[in-house]
Amino acid sequence: MWPPPFQSFFVWVSTLPGSQYLREDAPSFFGTFLTLHVLSMCLFLGLVFMMDLRLLGVAHLDTSVTQIQKRLFPWQLVGAIVMSVSGLILFYAQPVLYWGKGFYWVKMLVAMPLALANLLVFHFTTYRSVGAWDTDASPPFGAKLAGILSIVLWITVLSFGRLVAYDWWTIVEQVK
Amino acid sequence: MSLLPFFKWMEGLAVYRSSIYLGPGVNLVHLVSMCTFMGALLMVDLRLLGTGLTNQPVKQVARTAQPWLIAGLIGLTLTGVPALMATATMQYASQVFWFKMYVLAFAVIFTFTVRRAVAASDEGRVSPVLGKLVALVSIVAWMAVAAGGRLIMYL
Repeated sequence: MWPPPFQSFFVWVSTLPGSQYLREDAPSFFGTFLTLHVLSMCLFLGLVFMMDLRLLGVAHLDTSVTQIQKRLFPWQLVGAIVMSVSGLILFYAQPVLYWGKGFYWVKMLVAMPLALANLLVFHFTTYRSVGAWDTDASPPFGAKLAGILSIVLWITVLSFGRLVAYDWWTIVEQVK
Repeated sequence: MSLLPFFKWMEGLAVYRSSIYLGPGVNLVHLVSMCTFMGALLMVDLRLLGTGLTNQPVKQVARTAQPWLIAGLIGLTLTGVPALMATATMQYASQVFWFKMYVLAFAVIFTFTVRRAVAASDEGRVSPVLGKLVALVSIVAWMAVAAGGRLIMYL
């Protein structure tokens, strides 16, 4: 498991057109794209948290759950798209760096899939009966569970992403 | 009068000396607070722009978002101050840091005066154009603060 597998694939990505240019010859690239990543995270995670707090029964109680879900969803989606695209481009520019980052692997292969699975499970189980509890100030246990799991898992995704910037759990490979 | 001695004094306190995990930990709480703050802020600003929770009056959205806006801001302040103290002389020398602080001062004042008054007013008392303008100023100012924070390391 560690050192991580597929090193040759990450090295190959680093040789694709533009990757080396972004990494070495575009001085404002990292600042610009990390900023885009953070600002779109504010939009996405901020509105996801607001929805989760409604599911927990602690915020926006005079708004129905379906209203919160439907009205915030387009903006959460905009945030998610910009975040994913900026993240992909950041990865494309320095794949070998991320290959050697333990926190990156756990973020992408554990934390993010779990956060998305929680969202899907909730959508296809508890949320199906939303008509029965849409306006309740205190939604049923399944909804509260999905809300707290969402908050915890997305904070984990954010944290692992941020921790990539430090030297911990890192293999440094020099690839030109 | 230069603030440099004050910044040197802050850095001299070495607030992070007790643990190497303190700096990153404080940073993570700062980011989570930022997301909470931005979520509460955008709920209201989007509503002022005529999207988001359009079934509710602006006033009501603003009232229910308020505790989370304040909680986020408190978290941001409690974590932002030690983060500044730990690297004060580097921050002092950074133009982006000062840009962030000036925009932050404007954004805080704007949010708790003009924006607060507009968001708390009854439907129809404030022209929709003014509401939209206030929302845009709020979004741009706070996003500039967030961008500034991220860019201190890069510019």
